[in-house]
Amino acid sequence: MATTTTVHPAAATYRSGLYEWLTTTDHKKIGIMYVVNSFIFFFIGGVLALFVRAELAQPGLQYLTDEHFYNQIFTMHATVMIFLFIIPMLAGFGNYVVPLQIGAPDMAFPRINAMSLWMLPLGGIILLSGFVLGGTAAAGWTSYPPLSSDRPLASTGPGQDLWIMALILIGTSSILGSINFLVTIFKMRAPGMTLFRMPILVWTVLVTSVLVLMATPVITSALIMLFIDRNLGGHFFDPATGGNAVLYQNVFWFYSHPAVYVMVLPAMGMISEILPVFSRKPLFGYKAFVFATAGIGALGFSVWAHHMFTTGAVFLPFFSLMTFLIAVPTGVKMFNWIFTLVRGQLTFSTPLLFALGFLSMFLIGGINGAFSASVPVDYALHDTYWVVAHLHYVLFGGSAFGVFAGVYFWFPKMTGRMLDETLGKIQFVLMFIGFNLTFFPMHVLGLQGMPRRIADYASAAGWNDLNLAATIGGFLIAASMIPFLWNVLVSLRGGTPAGDDPWEGNTLEWATSSPPPPYNFDRLPEIRSERPVFDMRHGHGAGGHK
Amino acid sequence: MTADSHALTEVEHSPVAGLAHDARGGISNPILGMLLFITSEVMFFAGLFGAYFNARAQNTPWPPEEFAHTLNPLSLILVATVILVFSSITCQWAVNAIRRDDRAGFLRNMSVTVVLGVIFLIMQVYDYLLLFEEGLTHTAGPFGTTYFTLTGFHGAHVFGGVIMLGVILYRGMAGQFSSRHHDAVEAASLYWHFVDVVWIVLFSVLYIL
Amino acid sequence: MSSSPRNTRPSDLILLVILVVTMVALTVAFFAGGYWDGMFPPDAVTTQGDEIRSLYDIVFWIAVAIFIVVEGLIVYSVIRYRRKPGQDDLPVQTHGHNLLEIAWTVVPTLIVAYLFVISFQTLSSIDAVARTPDVKIRAVAEQFRWQFDYLADDGVTTLFTEEVATADLGGGMHVPVGVNVQLELTTPDVIHAFYVPRFLFKRDVVPGMTNVFDFTIDPAEAGQTFSGQCAELCGTGHRVMLLDVVAMRQTEYEAWKAAKIEQANATPAPTASAGPVGVTLTVGALNIAFDQLSLEVPADQAFAIDFTNSDPPGVLHDIDIRAADGTVLQDQPTIDGGESTTYTFGALPAGAYTFICSVHPIPAMTGTLTVR
Repeated sequence: MATTTTVHPAAATYRSGLYEWLTTTDHKKIGIMYVVNSFIFFFIGGVLALFVRAELAQPGLQYLTDEHFYNQIFTMHATVMIFLFIIPMLAGFGNYVVPLQIGAPDMAFPRINAMSLWMLPLGGIILLSGFVLGGTAAAGWTSYPPLSSDRPLASTGPGQDLWIMALILIGTSSILGSINFLVTIFKMRAPGMTLFRMPILVWTVLVTSVLVLMATPVITSALIMLFIDRNLGGHFFDPATGGNAVLYQNVFWFYSHPAVYVMVLPAMGMISEILPVFSRKPLFGYKAFVFATAGIGALGFSVWAHHMFTTGAVFLPFFSLMTFLIAVPTGVKMFNWIFTLVRGQLTFSTPLLFALGFLSMFLIGGINGAFSASVPVDYALHDTYWVVAHLHYVLFGGSAFGVFAGVYFWFPKMTGRMLDETLGKIQFVLMFIGFNLTFFPMHVLGLQGMPRRIADYASAAGWNDLNLAATIGGFLIAASMIPFLWNVLVSLRGGTPAGDDPWEGNTLEWATSSPPPPYNFDRLPEIRSERPVFDMRHGHGAGGHK
Repeated sequence: MTADSHALTEVEHSPVAGLAHDARGGISNPILGMLLFITSEVMFFAGLFGAYFNARAQNTPWPPEEFAHTLNPLSLILVATVILVFSSITCQWAVNAIRRDDRAGFLRNMSVTVVLGVIFLIMQVYDYLLLFEEGLTHTAGPFGTTYFTLTGFHGAHVFGGVIMLGVILYRGMAGQFSSRHHDAVEAASLYWHFVDVVWIVLFSVLYIL
Repeated sequence: MSSSPRNTRPSDLILLVILVVTMVALTVAFFAGGYWDGMFPPDAVTTQGDEIRSLYDIVFWIAVAIFIVVEGLIVYSVIRYRRKPGQDDLPVQTHGHNLLEIAWTVVPTLIVAYLFVISFQTLSSIDAVARTPDVKIRAVAEQFRWQFDYLADDGVTTLFTEEVATADLGGGMHVPVGVNVQLELTTPDVIHAFYVPRFLFKRDVVPGMTNVFDFTIDPAEAGQTFSGQCAELCGTGHRVMLLDVVAMRQTEYEAWKAAKIEQANATPAPTASAGPVGVTLTVGALNIAFDQLSLEVPADQAFAIDFTNSDPPGVLHDIDIRAADGTVLQDQPTIDGGESTTYTFGALPAGAYTFICSVHPIPAMTGTLTVR
């Protein structure tokens, strides 16, 4: 293999500078900008969460004494984290890694790819501009009408309309991105890379893209109807004039439940790449994993109403059954991952630590989700802090841990430099402790009756200590970002040179230089399995097969 | 690390050339992209139709009595429907022509398609004006809101389609298409057929059912 | 990496120790602090809640078992299969195991099928609605208050209305124990949710729809008060939409109900005589709260209050005066957020009164008016 000193001929054409980055259509630069942009919004959303946690640390209104402002803060926290952090972050990794892993020179539509990227910061600016234009949306990230359609009762200022516009923009970006991924994956795989030799990350991006393609337009229609109701005198969701308030919830969740899988499947794909590398074994049950991914995608469209069990307007048995069933493919994956570790040779580098964090925390997020599938139990838990605990175990304990695993794993490929292992492990320890300290107590708070989205609670309710613990944990998570940022800044300049393949990777991105040249490859290894670089290193069939 | 150079195969095309073309044959990238885009558009209209059927199920009688006479299928709107369906046919003739390298036929049929699309839009605006006179506006209860949202968004898609076909026509006049190179024409025609099919469904649901 | 791994670095060991010790300490603190009990819902006070609790316990223990098995498997694998110095050869490249994979598909399917069946059985029991309930109450949720209409046997006519939702203000939803109570939920504005944690139950209150559910409070709970609140974000004052359920013995309930009906049918108290305004006070409202909760005016003299509503538009407030028993003595019109007005009140005899926002009869908007 080429050593780090080899200059690829194509690298000479690599121009640098700000102008190059702003106008690039190279999937790698776009992917990196996706990731950077998503981290910026992650920190914005994180600060908003700290506001919420600070206010809830003790009973009484201390910091956000204007409760309308408090409602804006948690609405923006959720909207930013979902639509401007997790979804684009995973799309960014997909953008960077997928063409490399399938041996393609770029995405199928590079200019549309650049457009998808630039729509995101624009959407984010529109969304958050409400803070200076008289108030952001304040009806929760779900924005149920009539609360969100009846202006005087919920929110003042243009915030809700800005929210609608931003989400339509971000949604369009997602749809264009998903078309790009699908065409790239179907049409631009290297010779020899059959569907069942695709790396798992590519599979999860494929299924995610189908979900985005089919579900996102539906929320666009809901948002447009909400906009018409708010601004043009429409009657979709206004019960007073023949509309139906629950209709919005149905249309909204028809997107937003599949969106949960959009937010977690690519992260599953990322750790499915990382676990085999660090245990020096192939993913256990590759095909079962693929079918489980497809199964989650398919079932994901039939469980949306489990967010609406308490509305009294849902056919309960069907949605309850489907919600229970979706636990099965998820469980299959969990066992696949664990048995990838079993009889392996584990090297505890930072990517593996975060991947193991994903496994152990996502497990809790899966198990406490099953409670809500049981309708009577959901009657007790719905809209309490239990649900806040559940969704953070899935989206933070799952997706965000997966994202950091991915950052530590692919940073050497993206920059040519290793991240520092010690700083990485300090971050992991702080984040793992902080995460559990923040979100585990929320199970108890929810069970004891603390509803979501309140700025204050009675001192006599007995929720003081656990809320304080959760706030301390929240600030611990924030503290864990300091070693991370420091690590990135220091390693960009002075990190150990990575070489082409610092981890003994399995997939094609490790067969090119770090960072890869424009159009990625001059030569490709022969592809005979989902681990072409492993085969090249050890020979196809090395280590014995079972 | 051992370098098995013989295990490496050269990428067949130069990497830069590989960018423009799809590596795997079959359906071309732009056409696949358009088909996927149409899939997402189908889901968008599915959302609007879902709202329509919900409103329809909740409000009886449907349409409300004062508007019962407004949506008569045997009126101007039938003419508009025929025009749009015919434009789909002329669009396909244009595609068939360019497949045969018949550029004159392509330009003739594509021009007719664009003109028919514009006529449809004009007729729809005229029809809206007639409905406004009857008092049926988008604020007139769920019936008015759903009617104008569905037909309005369809109209917007027709407008987008006319622009798209106009660009195709312009590029065609500049001689950019041939029997070997006309993916954009195929993709635009697929979109136009999709817009046509949506209208047929809309017309059936709104006027006939 | 391809060579055998270096020995573990000291910094790694320190971090590992910090991680394990902290997590163990937090776990111990969780149990020692008595929070383990908090992993179960509070003791249910209704028969329906008891059933939900039994179901919860089953789900919970299955979940704990799955958690221990799977998390244990993860921890075991991590400890057991770490790469040791000298391990240069690849481990056996296991790609899968059909029997194992079928097993971990089938077993979870059976578990969730079982959970679905028992959930469904419980559901049909707790969602059952009686045609002729013993007591029927209509709860009206409005931004940001609850109101309870007690309905006659026909299920439609309102006998009387309890306008104060919490017990500390002398109100609350009074219900008899041991009988089937039916609650009908309506709202004129946005979506709310009726939630009482000790019922282990909530149900949304959706505009344009009437939701109904039944509950029966266990006889042993007579004399207890159970607090609840709105569980669906409904705007700026969402947090203050509190309510109390007051459980009473059947006989006490009947007496309470009779007194309420009598009060509702009584002729309103004579309006206080108007006269020249003596003092003028200033009261403001912000965040669904008065800026002062005790006022003092001279007896037998009309007085005025300059009232400013600083909440956002759409949040209405007013100032009514009530006698100690809750009777409305002087009723003032509401003003919208951002507006201000001057209310003129008639003369009152010396005594203690309550001034209250009729839209938000909650502690933060209920003050004492001393007349001397």
